Amino acid sequence: MHIMEGFLPPLWCAVWYIISIPVIIYGIFKIKKVTEEIPDSKTLLAVSGAFMFVLSSLKLPSVTGSCSHPTGNGLGAVLFGPAAASVLAVIVLLFQAVLLAHGGLTTLGANVFSMGIVGPFVAWAVYKGITKANISSTIAIFFAAFLGDLLTYVATSFQLALAFPDPTFTGSLVKFLGIFAITQIPLAIAEGLLTVVIWNGLKEYRSKILSKLNLFSNKESEAI
Amino acid sequence: MKFDIDYIAHNNKLSNVNTYLKIIVAISIMLVTLILDNLLLDFIVFIAMAIGILVIARISFRDYIKFLSIPIIFASMSCLLLLFFFGDGKVIFDTGIFGIVIREDSFYLATSTFCRVFACFSCLGFLTLTTPIAQILHVLGEIKVPKILIEIALLMYTTIFIFLEQLYTMRQAQETRLGYMNTRSAYRSLGYLFSNLFFKSLDKSEVMMNSLNSRGYTGQLPTYKPSKK
Repeated sequence: MHIMEGFLPPLWCAVWYIISIPVIIYGIFKIKKVTEEIPDSKTLLAVSGAFMFVLSSLKLPSVTGSCSHPTGNGLGAVLFGPAAASVLAVIVLLFQAVLLAHGGLTTLGANVFSMGIVGPFVAWAVYKGITKANISSTIAIFFAAFLGDLLTYVATSFQLALAFPDPTFTGSLVKFLGIFAITQIPLAIAEGLLTVVIWNGLKEYRSKILSKLNLFSNKESEAI
Repeated sequence: MKFDIDYIAHNNKLSNVNTYLKIIVAISIMLVTLILDNLLLDFIVFIAMAIGILVIARISFRDYIKFLSIPIIFASMSCLLLLFFFGDGKVIFDTGIFGIVIREDSFYLATSTFCRVFACFSCLGFLTLTTPIAQILHVLGEIKVPKILIEIALLMYTTIFIFLEQLYTMRQAQETRLGYMNTRSAYRSLGYLFSNLFFKSLDKSEVMMNSLNSRGYTGQLPTYKPSKK
């Protein structure tokens, strides 16, 4: 979903920057707090960021001024909360712009909004909602990753449709959504399954840090 | 996936030029082209940046074309979409297939977007091909971006290379054991690969973190900056 450098008109670049910056600042405070309380979490933070980087570098071209790829933002969002995931997304997107020429600096604000704010927030809300209902965290993580990925693309479609409302906003929104849906739904399912595998592994080998981060549904935390 | 850009950024004639200068030049030209959105200016910027990259920084023409090839594909596909399916102005060309037409305003939109993407992209290219990421992070640190952000970024940068190394090793191991013989085994191998990749990398970076901590790591990695001649 990385919108290319220069693809958005300057007005929209500025708008998305203004919307994203407060969330990022809040995220930095959050990360500071987590790493001070649980020093072990730094590595997990870096690894889930690198995971996001590697997954979202596997891109397929899409005809919408951006491209399709898994986002990997669900995992980071569930582990550390949506605000922290948005900081990870900023770093990931900056690296991708500078290392892979993928995305861009002027469109960084817009890309952070879709991949770092909307996606993680949805993923986190879904995860919390499902675990509150005392359903196993494995099912919750699947839907969190799946919907986090999908909603990232919905947000990108909105951004593109707002920038190119031609002839009407809804008309171009439908076009962008339609194009993304073809590639994105299978990718989102694959990402969901991959995240489940990783989650099960984390539960098995790193349950200590997960319970420190307070992530299990009640039933599971009793079992541990 | 290899980071040719990272290698090029460390090995060109402009690597050691003041980072502030490069960042300011690239970003200010980028902003100007973005805001003015003028076809002639776009063209001039593209040529100027190509001269900067090829002649001044002495980056080989092959590398430059390789760098541009992916954005060319992406940008042209996107602009074809804008060209054929957008706009509601006067029809200037009728393809005759499913009533797909090129309209006056969509033609204008597509060409201006395409040129703008190209001009901005060459500015980004100038920056990324001549500036190593460590220098960019250093500048970010100096302009008072919070330390924790830089720290996570540095750790993530290392972890990305750990990921890639793991990916490479495991993939080779699988290939030597005929893991990608046919489609079925390829899918299975790819599944194993990705599910183990995360944990292998987590293990490795925990080892790295332990070794950092045992050497008195407090969240900062002081780096040596060569003095300017």
